[in-house]
Amino acid sequence: MVRAEAVSRKYGRFLALSGVSFAAGSGEVIGLLGQNGAGKTTLMNVMAGCLAPSEGRVLIAGHDLVRSPFAARRALGYLSEVPPVYPELTVREYLQFCCRIKGVVRADEKRHLDEIIGLTGLMPMQHRLIGQLSKGFRQRTGLAQALCGDPEVLLLDEPTAGFDPAQAVAFRKLIRTLAKGKTIVFSSHLLHEVQEVCDRVLVIHRGRLLVDHDLRQAAQSNRYRVVIQGEPERLLSPIRQLSSVCRVRQENTTAGRTRLVVETKPDETFAKQLFHLLSAMGAPVLELTPLRDTLETLFLQATGGEEGKE
Amino acid sequence: MRAVYHKELRSYFYTPTGWLFITVFLSLAGLLFYLNNILPRSSDFSAFLSMMSYVWMLLTPILVMRLMAGERRGMTDKLLQSAPLSVASLVTGKYLAACTVMLIAVTLSLAYPLLMSACARVYPMEVLSGILGFLLQGCAFIALDLMVTSTVRNTFSAAALAFGVNLFVWLMSLMTSSAAMPAALTRGIAFFSLYERFIPFLSAQLSPANILFYLMFCISMLAVSITMLKLERARER
Repeated sequence: MVRAEAVSRKYGRFLALSGVSFAAGSGEVIGLLGQNGAGKTTLMNVMAGCLAPSEGRVLIAGHDLVRSPFAARRALGYLSEVPPVYPELTVREYLQFCCRIKGVVRADEKRHLDEIIGLTGLMPMQHRLIGQLSKGFRQRTGLAQALCGDPEVLLLDEPTAGFDPAQAVAFRKLIRTLAKGKTIVFSSHLLHEVQEVCDRVLVIHRGRLLVDHDLRQAAQSNRYRVVIQGEPERLLSPIRQLSSVCRVRQENTTAGRTRLVVETKPDETFAKQLFHLLSAMGAPVLELTPLRDTLETLFLQATGGEEGKE
Repeated sequence: MRAVYHKELRSYFYTPTGWLFITVFLSLAGLLFYLNNILPRSSDFSAFLSMMSYVWMLLTPILVMRLMAGERRGMTDKLLQSAPLSVASLVTGKYLAACTVMLIAVTLSLAYPLLMSACARVYPMEVLSGILGFLLQGCAFIALDLMVTSTVRNTFSAAALAFGVNLFVWLMSLMTSSAAMPAALTRGIAFFSLYERFIPFLSAQLSPANILFYLMFCISMLAVSITMLKLERARER
């Protein structure tokens, strides 16, 4: 649905994006992370057709944004960093305008508008002037605009900026609902939001794509923290011999409690094997916690490491 | 194009711009009607229209200033750029909306010749020809101002630039009556002058050449606006 091929973008002599490549299919939600000035908005603008790449190309639903701009833009909904709204229009008038410029068939317009307004929770505000709305509702109006024409690809640049916590929760639910049959790329500074909503995360730093991380795979952890009542000398060897175990690292031992980090094969037999073993040895398991790399760790490793090199 | 046209027309009347334009236009028209027709007890409508033709210089910048600059200021240009909408549709829709507001103002000002016809002898052809020329001249000024403001980012800069260009056009037309100017240059300026082309309409001379000139002028200005916007987008790209 979206494919960026070695996309670079220069502003004069400044290289804002350098050789960014990735592809996202239908039903995928991609989070775009990066520090301020990393190139997230530039990448969004390039993918939305507001900026053409200096090198490389972007395909939206199989259409090249530069060579077949109309076909590509028909398959695209874009919410820019500042919601592109007209304060003098009511929400409904604005969305009607958006539907018309996006080529929604007149016969379907009313139904489509009602659907979008309902989805984004704008029903009570639909006849209010956009200029009189709060920041959160303006943002929702901007999001509703991106949904006009039922595009296959949604690009959302910091869509939850201005949302209160309740609105942010509702938004995350909405994104998961919309993700069925669409490709969604959204940038955010909120790591927990990206972790909660996205299937994949791209970390951009100084215009380069440093990390393309599949959060679905990461969710199936192969590392566990295990706390066992017993001495390590007696426990370590039998645990290492379990067929599902790859590596065991001892963290520390306090008051007869042994703390271990166990790396296992990607199967689900480890917990069962461990319980059978330890119950036979009379060593109760006090804690068994799957360990996951947090997005924060990933982000800091990627961006911090890069800074360290330079 | 229709979507842009309807949206722009709404925006004119949902913001003070359209009302301001019509109010100032009708106020100036009322004042000039009083000075040219009521005070001297004259039914010569051409004198009124002749004076009114200078009003475009002041008022078309009000209509045009936010057409393109407003999109950039409000960041709505991103919406238009990412939508399957051609630059030509965008420019034409906006231009026709501005012309419609002008048409509404001119239509309302027809009350003056109607009022005059109730108590004096009015030559309908002279009035109709004059109004046609006046409308064409207004359309030409809007097209010119739209062209010069098509890549401006600030609405006030756009208004100032449009007014400056209109003033220049007027000053150039004044030069056509200067005896010190070479005849060839005077003829050249007169050929392209939006004011000189209007004069025959006032005496009911409906010359196809003049009508065609105004139409071609408008189309050319729109074409230049479209090209400038495309070039600007390409440069941004």
